[in-house]
Amino acid sequence: MSLVTRKLIAKELFVNRWFIAGGMFSGIVSVLIATLGRAGFNVGALMWMTTIIAMGVMLAIYGVMNERKEQSLQFVLGLPLSIAEYVRAKLVGLLLCYLIPWAVSSVAAIVLIVTTGVPDGLLPYTVLLCVFLLTNFALVLCGVLHAKTESVVAGAVVVTNMFVSLYMFVIASVPGLGDHMQDPVPAWNRAVFTILAIELCMLAVALVLPLLVAARRRDFL
Amino acid sequence: MSTGNLIEMRGVRKAFRFFTLEDLTLDLAPGQIMGFVGPNGAGKSTTIRLMLGMLGADAGEIRLLGSPMPEAQALAKRDVGFVSDTMRLFPQASLGWHLSFVASIYPRWDSAYAAQLVKRFNLRLEQTVRGLSSGEHAKAALLLALARRPRLLVLDEPTAGLDPVARHEVLTELMDVLRDESRSILFSSHNTVDVERISDTITFLDRGRIVESRDKEQFLDAWRRIQLRVPPGSTLPELPNIVNRIDDGQFTTLTTNGFTESVLPLLGERVREVQRMSLEEIFVATVMHHRETRS
Repeated sequence: MSLVTRKLIAKELFVNRWFIAGGMFSGIVSVLIATLGRAGFNVGALMWMTTIIAMGVMLAIYGVMNERKEQSLQFVLGLPLSIAEYVRAKLVGLLLCYLIPWAVSSVAAIVLIVTTGVPDGLLPYTVLLCVFLLTNFALVLCGVLHAKTESVVAGAVVVTNMFVSLYMFVIASVPGLGDHMQDPVPAWNRAVFTILAIELCMLAVALVLPLLVAARRRDFL
Repeated sequence: MSTGNLIEMRGVRKAFRFFTLEDLTLDLAPGQIMGFVGPNGAGKSTTIRLMLGMLGADAGEIRLLGSPMPEAQALAKRDVGFVSDTMRLFPQASLGWHLSFVASIYPRWDSAYAAQLVKRFNLRLEQTVRGLSSGEHAKAALLLALARRPRLLVLDEPTAGLDPVARHEVLTELMDVLRDESRSILFSSHNTVDVERISDTITFLDRGRIVESRDKEQFLDAWRRIQLRVPPGSTLPELPNIVNRIDDGQFTTLTTNGFTESVLPLLGERVREVQRMSLEEIFVATVMHHRETRS
């Protein structure tokens, strides 16, 4: 990894530091709210989901689209780097910015399930949902890095967000997963690992695609 | 193709839906300051983006500091300082952060010179870019390009949108840089006064084509406006290099792009005045002549 790529990754962490801090704070607060009884659990869960999804959308839009719209991209591309290095730096930088609050929020949710009265059977579902939300962010980022217009970006955001509700509904009804959610012991069965494998494959595709396609674009402005 | 020139473009073509840059050939030698002049939409910024690898050409060959573009852009841009009027720094970060960021990338970063420019441009390191005025932003961008001590400066309309005082400050700083004779500059603008002040070579671009490229003094020496009084019944001899003729009763004005003193005896007593032309007048006449010829 070149010096400029490393500096640009550090730049992403610096300019998005308040997003990262806000995401971590909101993730932890929402989990704490979820400990306050049944109503608290519902409010906290909704807030937790909103935090993770909104973080992803805002990072992708502010990190990629706004840089392009505000013409800071010209300043970056004037530096000694290739288009491929720019795409790599953007991908890794924004992924790190997302991973920090995502990891904190995910761990907080898992700790909540393991340490409180919430049924441990919810653990596989929560893990799958966390990985799905990470994949969802990677898909939005992939779309934004390839998109040339704002309307395409808006379309990518709407479609991926619609997938979240659909995913939660479909996964909850998968045999071997939905029927164990209220169990006192988590059921780590074939269905869970199959869905996890699919999610990880999608994540890998979403992260590799920009390096193969967007990084080879000859016109980047 | 490499000839030792800092910029080499040969037969470059780039087509968009409603605009095409055609057969662009351009050279910038070490130590040369080229004014790249064209009306709005002529293709100046597109040419610069092609040069810096931000766009890929459909045909032709581009070399920047000897490196093929866009393939070797990371290497070539190590020695290039680029400033554009549409370019923006990161709005959330301070000027001080930008200085540290750019300094960490360029090994030849001159901290003392950067500090001197901060003072001369009256900038504040702790101020975020979002809070800078357009004049301060232009000066900050120029500072970041100059303090890396590049071999080549590419300036795309750096004085556009600046008030006269800010423009004077920026141009004065550029004149200072020009004292270093090994430094080359490509200065794109439609403000011919600025270009005339700092350039030694001028290239005119219009509708995606280079229409003229010459030494500035040659330009200024070759172009003249000749005012004549032509009595009724008298006709003018056929003269070479006349690009425009305006008749107004007994008075005729000829514009030539190849003036020599030997023309005057042919016109005799009809000559009332021979005027030198400003670069702006030459630019307008060249563009209009080019358009008439093409149509």
